[in-house]
Amino acid sequence: MHRHLVAPFVLLILCFAAWGAAANLTDVLVGVFRSIFDMSNFQSSLVQFAYYGAYFALAIPAAMINKRFGYKAGVLVGLGLAAIGGVLFWPASELLVYEAFLLALFVLAGGLSILETSANPFVIAMGEERSATQRLNLAQAFNPVGANIGVLLGALLILPALTPEPAKTIMSPEELRASQEQDLSLVLGPYLGIAAVLVAIWLLIAFRRMDLPSVPGAEAVPSGSTVGRLWANRHYRYGVLAQFFNVAAQTCTWTFTILYAQDVVGVSAEGAGWYLQASLILFLVSRFVMTWLLGLFRPTLLLLIMALFGVACCAVAIFSLNIVGLLAVVAISASLSLMFPTIYGVALHGLGEDAKYGAAGLVMAILGGALLPMVHAAVMDRVGAAAGFVVPGVCLALVAAYALFDLRTTRDSGAPEPAGTP
Amino acid sequence: MTILHRSPRRLPRRLVALAGAALLGLTLTACGDDAEEVTVGLITKQEENAFWVTMREVAEDTAEEENVELLTATGTSDTDVQSQVAALESMTGAGAVGILIAPTDSTELVPAIERAREAGVIVIAVDTPVEPESAVDALFATDNFRAGELIGRYASAEAAERGFEPRVALLDLAPGIRSGELRREGFLQGFGIAPGGPPPASVDTEGDRDLARAGMERLLAADPGINVVYTVNEPAAFGAIEALEAAGRDLDDVIVVSVDGGCEAIKNGVRPGTIDATAQQYPQNMAREGVEAVARAARGGEAPAEYLDTGVQLITGDPAPGVESRDVAYGVRNCWGD
Repeated sequence: MHRHLVAPFVLLILCFAAWGAAANLTDVLVGVFRSIFDMSNFQSSLVQFAYYGAYFALAIPAAMINKRFGYKAGVLVGLGLAAIGGVLFWPASELLVYEAFLLALFVLAGGLSILETSANPFVIAMGEERSATQRLNLAQAFNPVGANIGVLLGALLILPALTPEPAKTIMSPEELRASQEQDLSLVLGPYLGIAAVLVAIWLLIAFRRMDLPSVPGAEAVPSGSTVGRLWANRHYRYGVLAQFFNVAAQTCTWTFTILYAQDVVGVSAEGAGWYLQASLILFLVSRFVMTWLLGLFRPTLLLLIMALFGVACCAVAIFSLNIVGLLAVVAISASLSLMFPTIYGVALHGLGEDAKYGAAGLVMAILGGALLPMVHAAVMDRVGAAAGFVVPGVCLALVAAYALFDLRTTRDSGAPEPAGTP
Repeated sequence: MTILHRSPRRLPRRLVALAGAALLGLTLTACGDDAEEVTVGLITKQEENAFWVTMREVAEDTAEEENVELLTATGTSDTDVQSQVAALESMTGAGAVGILIAPTDSTELVPAIERAREAGVIVIAVDTPVEPESAVDALFATDNFRAGELIGRYASAEAAERGFEPRVALLDLAPGIRSGELRREGFLQGFGIAPGGPPPASVDTEGDRDLARAGMERLLAADPGINVVYTVNEPAAFGAIEALEAAGRDLDDVIVVSVDGGCEAIKNGVRPGTIDATAQQYPQNMAREGVEAVARAARGGEAPAEYLDTGVQLITGDPAPGVESRDVAYGVRNCWGD
């Protein structure tokens, strides 16, 4: 790597950590907003809709920014927008309006979406091609570090200090409003902190001269025939669906771990945060274990086994309304740990040049994280807190079905399917 | 036997929080608590009941946040007066500026309370009142009439919705215990049973599961068609349910309501639906508000209010039309015990 790019590279590593922190701090926020605004689970799940919806909506604009203005511009736009989103938490907390927070989250996540889309190729372009993968892996290693910090921030700074619900039962309207202001100020702190870090990185990157290769034009827009070939490939088409349900299962599980601990088992808000932390650590450790196991087993066989394990964990969570159920919820993270990269690899296998466009479809499957948590929350509201885990259970069953499909089907390498094939 | 001890100091949450914030480069100003340390006592009835354990734990947390040294003591049962007298004297001697006490006897403790107050100690009765009420500076407790009224209104609305011709049974506490009387009166008013009319069938249970089961069996022998059961607390509710099941009654055909909101009843009674609704009370509020009120008064602030209603919420998994209630998840989050 060029010496003058070492500092920007370090700053970009911080970006990877920042979006990991922001994403998993959002998982904590669902329960926090439910408590502060005394709302239903469905209403509070709109936090994830705003967050992942923005990620989905801004993915294509991000690619267009990169193509037209370059990676540096993409990173700066992403950093700037995300910082604005963080700062928007301030007027939102003054207004005491939930929708204002959703807007702030949407802007923040939109910025992070652009940042993520730009930062990956930016890191690759920052040095020699032979060490590009190494740089990218190093940078991406800081994403789960940030994710854990995000939950840690929520568990340490927000959850323990929230006004207890019993205390609210005897408050006057004025006292209630004051308690809302105080609780929202707890939310404000970490987001202003994230915004401050993003602004600092923005300044350091904006005013630093970087000579980078331009964005390859060939990566612009896929032709209609490419899309047709991709769509005709069942391994790819079902892979996108499997990724959609994998992201949905992951977002549902992490979003509702804290609520399960509180609503089903009766764990304190302070203690509940640690179960989410344990889930993320288990996810991280399992990733390494799965990487080793993938060397021993066929990936889709391992995917099938772990998806069925996840389904079993969801069933335990639904029917065992105690600490065993909560541990099962935590254990779901072990099953999730191999899914994204495995589905990614299986779906793109053998696509050749089409793979670079196919990857975009798999990334856009993040929409599952925006939509399914709302379904999970609606089930919680209507049937009960534990019953909501039927949603990630079904999602994981569909991932298992994809693995089974891959195991029992020979690849057609994108060849057109006979008419009538589902 | 009285157990008197000082609550251990824990690592301040602010320090832990500060360390976390530093991880992302956040700078938080250290919010040092400048208030002078004061000593406050808490005397509960016993440690076997989760209600009192929760009260102590919340008092300890509040003391930590309020820069208060907390002395705690407890007896061996709900009727252990001597332990509470000894604890009042030792806490007064230890320099407590205020004492929160859950009296095991409404009248026998009054002389000891008066001696403490003469020594300048603020005394707040928590959960249970004393007689006369003026013997303490304040009472922080559940509005038991309101608790009874809530479950009475629920039972009435639910009976109407299910098309029941109500045949009510009351499983009371014991004669002369005011909290039980207030719950019963509240239930009757909430249900719409006029004070002057014929009273429903009732038995005294002392809040005991076995006595409640035996009492319910007698009531069912006299009237097998009972379909609304008021119970003064949750152990009594479980006793009543055992009797109903033993009599072969389908619990879907009986409305059972209760008062307390302990975790065992919320998880094993209200959640599966064998207890249709309960009025949840909050020892957390008694402890938190009590410690804060004493600390505030000792530091020159306003004296504690004479009476503080520490709140009650109706918890049910099957809401009745027109009756405000909270769901089971809320009950689980805020129940006391395991």
